Amino acid sequence: MTRYRIVPDALSASLSDGAVLLNLYTKRYFSLNDTGSRIWSLLEHQASEEEIIETLVREYDVEKPEAARAVNRLLDDLVAERLIEPASV
Amino acid sequence: MMSTHDSSGGARNIGAPVCASAPHVETHWRCGLVDGVTTGSSSKLIDTECRAELRLAKGRLSRGPGYETAPRLTRQRLARVGAMLKLREHARYHMHAAGVVAPDGRAWLLTGETGCGKSTLTYALARRGWPVLGEDGVVLQHDSIGVIAHGWHDLLRVSIELAEWFPELRDHESQVDWQDTRHRVAVGATFNKRAPVAGMVVLQRDSRDALSPITSTAALATLVRQATFLFVPDNHAQSHLSVLRDLVESVPCFTLHHSPAQLACIDATILGACA
Repeated sequence: MTRYRIVPDALSASLSDGAVLLNLYTKRYFSLNDTGSRIWSLLEHQASEEEIIETLVREYDVEKPEAARAVNRLLDDLVAERLIEPASV
Repeated sequence: MMSTHDSSGGARNIGAPVCASAPHVETHWRCGLVDGVTTGSSSKLIDTECRAELRLAKGRLSRGPGYETAPRLTRQRLARVGAMLKLREHARYHMHAAGVVAPDGRAWLLTGETGCGKSTLTYALARRGWPVLGEDGVVLQHDSIGVIAHGWHDLLRVSIELAEWFPELRDHESQVDWQDTRHRVAVGATFNKRAPVAGMVVLQRDSRDALSPITSTAALATLVRQATFLFVPDNHAQSHLSVLRDLVESVPCFTLHHSPAQLACIDATILGACA
């Protein structure tokens, strides 16, 4: 059950239709759509990857395999952009 | 699900860091011709042309090596950046945008990349009696009634080539700065000190005219590029981002593709945006 933590250099602003993320170190910024914003808010609450997938299946009209692929892809992007990192157990 | 942007494209954005930004670690950034070194809540500003220094510590600006003997323009450049940083400590945030005040007393922000037409359309509005808050910058603050735009008063300057549309500019031909690539001349305008923000327009020059609403997320992503010092990694960064978030969530935001036709009707375009 992989958990992630948001890095100290990441700032976020949650909006009615998505979110904007900033990385103060890389000076890059990112916009998230509504689903991405929901995933980010779950990461803020220390949800694990599995818990995020289950939440999306519950809240959106999506099958688990598709939700898992989408979550995995976004988490990979967020790690690559140094906005989150795997939390040490 | 995620779109990536790079903040380095905007003329007023802070440059790339050269080291990590943990508290009390030195962070280097750049604003125009001024290099900045921030350590915790202190900053050192160094003019890249004259190496003169200005320092900000404990909320106070003090002169560093070379400042006293630097040319006036250098001192002005350093003081301008120092003032922006100092305002940030008081929860007021400089933004690269023009601000104009509509007849109802509320402000409209015109933003976009350098050369997008901010000054030109600001002058077009000023000629129609709209007071100006700033031609190239405003200062944002969130207070009890919402987001307020304070004036950041630079000279309003427009290109002499606009005399075709604004004939009175011909009276200023002798004052044109021909070293300036845009051949601008300073023009008169009425300036206001502050006004609550009514809306924001992202400008793009085009051969046609089209005003379209944009989402809050798209508007904030645009503002991030124009927000001076947003990326300075001090303890004001999150508050700065929150003010921009509150702005785009509380007022209508639009993109305006504009042709020269807007010079005659920009006031009606803006007033019609919320009709």
